[in-house]
Amino acid sequence: MAEVGPHGGIPPISVSSTSTRVNRTGSWKYIRPVYQDRVAPCNAGCPVGIDIEGYMNLLREGRDDEAMDLLLRENPMPAVTGRVCDHPCETHCNRRFFDEPVSIHAVERMLGDRILERDLPTPVATQRKERIAVVGSGPAGLACGYHLARLGYRAVVYEAAPEAGGMLRLGIPEYRLPREILDAQIERIRAEGIEIRCGVRVGPDVPWGELARYDAVFVASGAHQGRATGMEGEESDGVRSGLHFLKEVNAGGRPDIGRRVVVVGGGNTAIDCARTARRLGAEVLLLYRRTRAEMPAIDEEILEAEREGIEFEFLAAPNTVAKLNGRLRGVECIRMVLGEPDDSGRRRPVPTEEGQFTVIVDTILTAIGEITDLGFLPPDVHQDRWQIVVDELGATSTPVVFAGGDVTDSERTVAHALGDGKRAALGIDRFLRSAAGEPIPAVDPERYCLGPEGNISMTRWRDDDPLRRNSPVNEVVEFEDMNQDHFQHADRHPDHHLSDARTLAGFDEVNQGLGRDEATEEALRCMNCGVCNQCELCLIFCPDMAVSRSEDGWGFVIDMDYCKGCGVCAAECPRGAMVMTREGL
Amino acid sequence: MKKVIEGNHAVSWGAKLARVEVISAYPITPQTQIVERLSEMCADGSLDARYISVESEHSAMAACIGASAAGVRTFTATSSQGLALMHELLHWAALGRHPVVMADVNRALGPGWNIWTDQNDSLSQRDTGWIQFYCETNQEVLDTTILGFKLAEAVDLPVMVVLDAFFLSHTAEPVDIPDQELVDGFLPRREARYKLDVEDPHAFGALVRPDAYMEMRLQQQEAMERAHDAFDEIESEWEALTGRRYGAIEGYRTEGAELLLVTSSTITSTAREVVDARRDAGEAVGLVKVKMFRPFPTERLRRLLSGVSRVAVLDRNISPGHGGIFAEELRSALYDVPPDDRPTLFGYVVGLGGRDVTPTVIGEIIDGTRAAERPEREDLWVGVAP
Repeated sequence: MAEVGPHGGIPPISVSSTSTRVNRTGSWKYIRPVYQDRVAPCNAGCPVGIDIEGYMNLLREGRDDEAMDLLLRENPMPAVTGRVCDHPCETHCNRRFFDEPVSIHAVERMLGDRILERDLPTPVATQRKERIAVVGSGPAGLACGYHLARLGYRAVVYEAAPEAGGMLRLGIPEYRLPREILDAQIERIRAEGIEIRCGVRVGPDVPWGELARYDAVFVASGAHQGRATGMEGEESDGVRSGLHFLKEVNAGGRPDIGRRVVVVGGGNTAIDCARTARRLGAEVLLLYRRTRAEMPAIDEEILEAEREGIEFEFLAAPNTVAKLNGRLRGVECIRMVLGEPDDSGRRRPVPTEEGQFTVIVDTILTAIGEITDLGFLPPDVHQDRWQIVVDELGATSTPVVFAGGDVTDSERTVAHALGDGKRAALGIDRFLRSAAGEPIPAVDPERYCLGPEGNISMTRWRDDDPLRRNSPVNEVVEFEDMNQDHFQHADRHPDHHLSDARTLAGFDEVNQGLGRDEATEEALRCMNCGVCNQCELCLIFCPDMAVSRSEDGWGFVIDMDYCKGCGVCAAECPRGAMVMTREGL
Repeated sequence: MKKVIEGNHAVSWGAKLARVEVISAYPITPQTQIVERLSEMCADGSLDARYISVESEHSAMAACIGASAAGVRTFTATSSQGLALMHELLHWAALGRHPVVMADVNRALGPGWNIWTDQNDSLSQRDTGWIQFYCETNQEVLDTTILGFKLAEAVDLPVMVVLDAFFLSHTAEPVDIPDQELVDGFLPRREARYKLDVEDPHAFGALVRPDAYMEMRLQQQEAMERAHDAFDEIESEWEALTGRRYGAIEGYRTEGAELLLVTSSTITSTAREVVDARRDAGEAVGLVKVKMFRPFPTERLRRLLSGVSRVAVLDRNISPGHGGIFAEELRSALYDVPPDDRPTLFGYVVGLGGRDVTPTVIGEIIDGTRAAERPEREDLWVGVAP
């Protein structure tokens, strides 16, 4: 650009005679930008420990196979959870502050269904000699066996029922989880190298002592005994455990429940009972002793129940069964009011003298909770109120015994059961390697947890993140930490549903999810909170052009010779994935 | 292809045919249609340009400067207060020697709020270093937009194409729209002399010390001087292609004239009618239209006006505390004419804030100029309530 001309060779404009590279503006800075990925709230809110933000990111990149692989690393049964999980990820989704949460469950379901159609390679781990017995093939047991298999162990799952699946098969109705999906999902898990022995109950069929030949035992036999309501006449004909009713129907039975059915309870079992009874042709009234706001059931399920014509009577509890000629005819109910909060934080229902009423009824289904039956366990496995006491990696008071799912005080959701199974797999891995004299990493939640809630991440444990997060920290990124200017509003896709006419006609799946394109569009709504998704705004906004692409095309490098520490990159980063740190300290 | 279009859309067509690459603008009446049409052209793909929406005229010009610095052809349009808000960056564009082309629809400044035409907005920017052209017809608007890019890029100076609010901006006239191929041949893609280049990074616009600043300014002035001949050459080339030529100034029926009107913009068209009528009545009256205001065509005006007895300048503008601005410029230009040849100059202030300048008004000016020995004042306000 040498300028030779009149006026002493002075150029016509203010332009430097040398390249600006001589001016190392980096010497001006006292703070410097650092790429530091945080944890998206969906991930922190997922008890399974799924890297949701990660698979959304991979889908955005069109790396669908890797997205499926990332999902399968953490979740053995996405086609199931995509349908029946209460998706706490969505209640945490930062996008709810912007427009509506990403329909994560629909994306997971789409990926889960695609996985079942595919033959994705299973990661090959170094095979180990240790064998582990798993008691129960529900989500906790299957997850534990699955992750153990992926860690190189041989797991044998004992299932008392004729088919695997635990509560997924026994308790969840087909209209929520079609059996062909469940069967295919379990088949896929089995194919990863797990042996499942059905029709074998630990205790009567296999004594506990026989499990001693295994190197470790994971107890996940669930909670199958319906809790008694305490109403007078509970033992009468026509009063049934809701869970037993569901098991019968789910196994193909069609019991005679009469025309009028009362369901007692407010959880998912109660709603499942009510909707199942409705499909058998009954008029259903659901009694719940608290109000709608306190109902523990999944909100969508309650809405579906309302759509299906189920009546609700809140602040009501059954008191006495009324019989005529020895047959159940009605139930006298009492009114409750809400008092002080109890241990669960919900306001305790207190009976009142007024407002008693009677309901004419043919069948009463009780669904106020289930308790464990742990008679097969030796006394050295400590219990507290019929629940096994475990530590943060699922270990019980007995060294080789681990436990998870509904037999512990874990929350009774599929997601928590899956998380517990994985947690115990990791605990068992550490225990057995330690027993074999191998060096094992210290118990460091930063190393194996995704987010501060203690959700186990196998990707972190194995340290092979395909998205190569930048110096990740376990802090959750808040919506306020993000630059909202860079996002555009986009409506959430509502799930497709079976028509009302077909809903009650049988047990066809009601929620039809989203089409593949719609689900992919949902993935594009993901804001990748806290994590660099290569959007390049740092590179575009850097006034010194100090930011450039890494040589391998993933991530960025900042030329500190020219970064003057202005902070524009960190301020513009839409996701809060950059921080400014003090220089030279 | 002939189309009946408004002056604003003549600008849009001109910019489109020039294959402008970046447009950044902020809407303001009576300019808005210009950029509205351009944004439509960007949206429908008929113009391959980046349209940058901004929050003010200041930012619009800043964006144009940035784009121009990157080496692309750049356009904006504004009016009145919008142009005033751009003021700082008009200097920047000119001293950075960015060949930005801007249309200014002449609109009076407020308060009192007024959307009609006068020239105070553009003339207030006289010393910012922009070439300024005042247009008489929609055809001239379209042609000047294209010519403006060619000239701007030839001398590395920004060009302002000025048209009257409503009389041109919102008035439809038949306009010959040249073929794209013709314009492409006339105006190839811009070759920037200096541009931002990541392969060879240089700093632009940084500190220039007293030992170099004057040389930089002098080169700006030399570029302005080169613009006179450059515009002639460019117009010759355009004339060969289209048959149309306007000239920095144009003499109309000046032969043997004892009195010459000096006009700009659409007042010229009205004045042509009056001159024709007076000539038919045997009066030695003619007209000089000033198209190029910066650089000021001093030499050409001296040549045309020397020896004429009287000159009446019609200024649709006012420099408060002095007088009509074209008149002041012309007085200065004629100062060096020998006294015997130097015309007596009458400076009339007319048509501010969009007031009509009718044939009657122009007739009164002619009659008044002929009747008086000398002007009573430097600024003679016509058609104003006493």
